[in-house]
Amino acid sequence: MNAREDILLSVEDLRVSFRSEEGKTEVLHGLSYRLPKGKVLAVVGESGCGKTVHALSLLNLLPSGGEIAAGHVYYQGKDVLSLPPQELRRLRGAEIAMIFQDPMTSLNPIRTVGSQITETILAHTDCTKLQARARAMRLLKQVGIENPRKRMDEYPFQFSGGQRQRIMIAMALCLTPGLLIADEPTTALDVTIQAQILKLIKNLQQKNHMSAVFITHNLAIVADIADEVLVLYGGYCVEEARADELFAKPLHPYTQGLLHSLVSLKRKEEHLPAIEGYPPAPGTPKEGCPFAPRCPRAWDKCHDRLPPLFEKNGRRVRCWLQEKDDNSGRN
Amino acid sequence: MTTPVEIEHLYKSYDRGGVKFWSRTEAKPVLEDISLRVGEREILGLVGESGCGKTTLAKVVLGLEKYQSGSVKVNGLELKELTKAGFKKLRRQVQVVFQDPYSSLDPRQTVRQILCEPWDIHALYADGAQRENALRELVRAVGLDAAHLNRYPHEFSGGQRQRIAIARALALEPKLLVADEPVSALDVSVQAQILNLLKDISRRRALSMLFISHDFAVARFLCDRIAVMYRGRVLETAPAEELLHNPQHPYTEALLSAVPVPDPQLQKKREPVETKTQRKRGSCPCPYAARCRYYQAAQCRVPLELKQTQEGHFCACAVLPFQKEKSLYAV
Repeated sequence: MNAREDILLSVEDLRVSFRSEEGKTEVLHGLSYRLPKGKVLAVVGESGCGKTVHALSLLNLLPSGGEIAAGHVYYQGKDVLSLPPQELRRLRGAEIAMIFQDPMTSLNPIRTVGSQITETILAHTDCTKLQARARAMRLLKQVGIENPRKRMDEYPFQFSGGQRQRIMIAMALCLTPGLLIADEPTTALDVTIQAQILKLIKNLQQKNHMSAVFITHNLAIVADIADEVLVLYGGYCVEEARADELFAKPLHPYTQGLLHSLVSLKRKEEHLPAIEGYPPAPGTPKEGCPFAPRCPRAWDKCHDRLPPLFEKNGRRVRCWLQEKDDNSGRN
Repeated sequence: MTTPVEIEHLYKSYDRGGVKFWSRTEAKPVLEDISLRVGEREILGLVGESGCGKTTLAKVVLGLEKYQSGSVKVNGLELKELTKAGFKKLRRQVQVVFQDPYSSLDPRQTVRQILCEPWDIHALYADGAQRENALRELVRAVGLDAAHLNRYPHEFSGGQRQRIAIARALALEPKLLVADEPVSALDVSVQAQILNLLKDISRRRALSMLFISHDFAVARFLCDRIAVMYRGRVLETAPAEELLHNPQHPYTEALLSAVPVPDPQLQKKREPVETKTQRKRGSCPCPYAARCRYYQAAQCRVPLELKQTQEGHFCACAVLPFQKEKSLYAV
């Protein structure tokens, strides 16, 4: 693994729970990982697996009812979760920026796009309004919005979905953050726009040596952008590996199933090898492996006891198969 | 035997409202000169970016939208000439599955009520025992069981809801199914299940289908033929395999190049075709001219027309189909 000073973000045993009428439900059960500087980590999982909750808790942005029950988030050695509000505010936006999933609802509809971008710049730096405006215009141009001088004074409804998402990206990148957290930034977009935006993020990431946590359910995007991959299922990390290794040889049956059930552009199939059953609802009480009810290779032990994260050759897998047989991780 | 769908020279535009006298410009057509045919037991895929008119076309076929000129025949009946009673009769033969299973099912009805409503409207299975049998058979056909009948939609996951929506569409044993992005709102592992189900059902019940998607991989898995739409026009149609092996329209090629593939090594080599607006379209009849990288002022001036380039392969480009080299992005 990398030397200590190269680690930009480190998450240790993060547990998140939500209060409801029936009491507390834990939705994220002890997540740990480290993200080196300049790398892109993809967090993959299905709806309800805890990936968005994880992203929100990195900046202590959980909605009411949610709380971080245990764990630490260290950014450049600072414990983010115990920072006083003022310092946390300085961190958000300037150091760690976030792009949310839905570009339609994350912009203020009654303020011009320009004023929303300059607001961020003015809040975090001591430049003049004119300088901020010039910077915002440069950014809009960078994300591919033509005629920025005119468009700065337009309102969000005058932009298309893809343009709005690019404005969100411009806003997130306006202070050249060290870490970008992107929660499904391209899910609502067409493939052509998606390709443009991924290219843009990759360019900026290489130019500014930025790190990113990329949350997605689309494995094809992971292949495009990620260095490391974390697969979440039912609030647990079930597999962690380098992207090329994961695609070459997935070890966890869930990851294998996910990769197999992808519809391929490259070959015509008669029948897709789907994973049977449905993902568990968050907070479903269970013993054993969360994937066991859907797993084609589960046996008694899987239903009774939760497997630990087995570590082998720099990869981590939460599956009893790893213990049973070293050669069982067939592709 | 009548052809399930036969569309000839269809034009449709939305009335902009307001005072007619003041609006000097004609309403811009959203569907322009569309001719398509869905044969007996054929699955036709409509592929294109959002806003290209795929959903509008589906609504026209369902009789939910009026059209200005041209002819739309569903099961041999011209939709323009149908009376209210005629439409009711037609609805037994044409059913629809929508994209979002969260908003297309009435939250206050049980699954039983949802599935029985079509039968009530069309006075079918009046006998209690008969209806019960039919219900059980219906839910089994879509992979649910009778225990689910008395539950409400909110008790189901997205994939299960889409199964309910499919069951509702099948209740009247239609000949034609219109499916508007039925899997794009679902998780990857569940998407494969629903695609398999749609394929099985269309075979077993000898269904014809108009399948709308923005995903070429999904369209390839399910469809016999694919039509590519852009700005209200069909630019290319061909048998699914042929279209992907030998894309002839520049737009089809650009769309294909933007689809990410779940393979890090391969994905790194793929470079999406640039699709930004590059020039003024001017009086050029081709809607894609502004973004096209093969644009040639002299040749692109001819009226847009789908020409047969190979057996069953039609392409509306004045430049590209006559080039012999194979596209880089063919699969």
